[in-house]
Amino acid sequence: MTLEIIKPGLETSVQDWPGRYGFWNQGFPPSGPMDSWSFRLANLLVGNVVGAPALECQYIGPTLRFGAETVFAVTGADMLPTLDGAPVPLWQSVTAQPGQVLAMSFAKLGARAYLALAGGIDVEPWLGSRATFHKAGIGGVGGHALKPGQQVPLGVPAATAKAGLIVEEAARPVISTDRRWEIEVVAGPNDDWIDGEGHARFLSADWKLSGKSDRTGFRLDGPDWTFTEKALHKAPEHGSLPSNIIDQGYPLGAINLAGQTPIILVNDGPSMGGFINPYTVPQAAFWKLGQSKPGETYRFKAVSVAESQAMARSLAALCTDASILSSIV
Amino acid sequence: MAIEIRTLTAGNVWKVLVQPGDIVAEGDVLFIMEVMKMEVPHTAPAGGKVTAVYVAADQEGLDADAPAVDLEENA
Repeated sequence: MTLEIIKPGLETSVQDWPGRYGFWNQGFPPSGPMDSWSFRLANLLVGNVVGAPALECQYIGPTLRFGAETVFAVTGADMLPTLDGAPVPLWQSVTAQPGQVLAMSFAKLGARAYLALAGGIDVEPWLGSRATFHKAGIGGVGGHALKPGQQVPLGVPAATAKAGLIVEEAARPVISTDRRWEIEVVAGPNDDWIDGEGHARFLSADWKLSGKSDRTGFRLDGPDWTFTEKALHKAPEHGSLPSNIIDQGYPLGAINLAGQTPIILVNDGPSMGGFINPYTVPQAAFWKLGQSKPGETYRFKAVSVAESQAMARSLAALCTDASILSSIV
Repeated sequence: MAIEIRTLTAGNVWKVLVQPGDIVAEGDVLFIMEVMKMEVPHTAPAGGKVTAVYVAADQEGLDADAPAVDLEENA
């Protein structure tokens, strides 16, 4: 059971969820899907466990040929998928026949689509995960994004895998159509380096997502930051900029202030460095980062740690079989 | 025949390599978009004359499938 890559799309990669956990202290990020909401639901549609290895397609989707009869599902961004030219519904499981070609186009809505295949993708785990981290050349197929001509091996499908399952409308993420997103943030770890005006400005300004954003970091354009005495008068070993600090560990989702430029450290981001992190985006809000495009606008909303944990629990509750319905085929 | 070349992805325009009146060959790069720190070159699907260019270098936040270059294909 294989999938032949005809056209790879733009950095399409194998990811699993929650990714490569437990090695952050050695510099390995978790990787995994940026929109784990859509990813988990795609797996459930095809009878897999929520975290099974599947494909993340970014901006321009791949074209693939099925080697055997395969149940698959596409969720997340709308890349106008077709199977031998016939439109494929999103958020629904579909059966492909041997030799049929699934073609995905540009992302018409959102930025990242997920293609789950019954049985998952059968590649070797590396440090316990099959997620691709291409900067280190590990995980996925040969450590990198898919390439033309590759044969991607598929696992053994569950006996329950079948076409015609559909994700309940209320359980799907709603991708912004007005180019604006509200992103939750938790203050810290270095919020005491920013003054009151700086915090008020961060939480009230429009921040534009830069084109220089990828699975390592999401760079934002917006107003300048202002700092407290702690940042302005400090020991020289911290570094010369107000946002410099003696090298420290970074949380995943940190809003890392490089000089005056905030960069959200996402799935393939660095684990440490010498800039402050005034805020952190909780993981339950990552799907919005994953589905937003360059030029779109973020407005940040402060939430507590308890609220961000409740968000993660609500999301986990949506990503269960209770959200999967049988449709009339 | 007039050919409309549209953007293949959302993103920014990095470079525009043609202007109206230019003669291009099939496969020539017309403009390059940037998304996720990667270049996405857009090539001429056929040889011909560039009749209009709707994108500019450093333009930000374009949508996918937006009109970019018009080409009058060689007869």
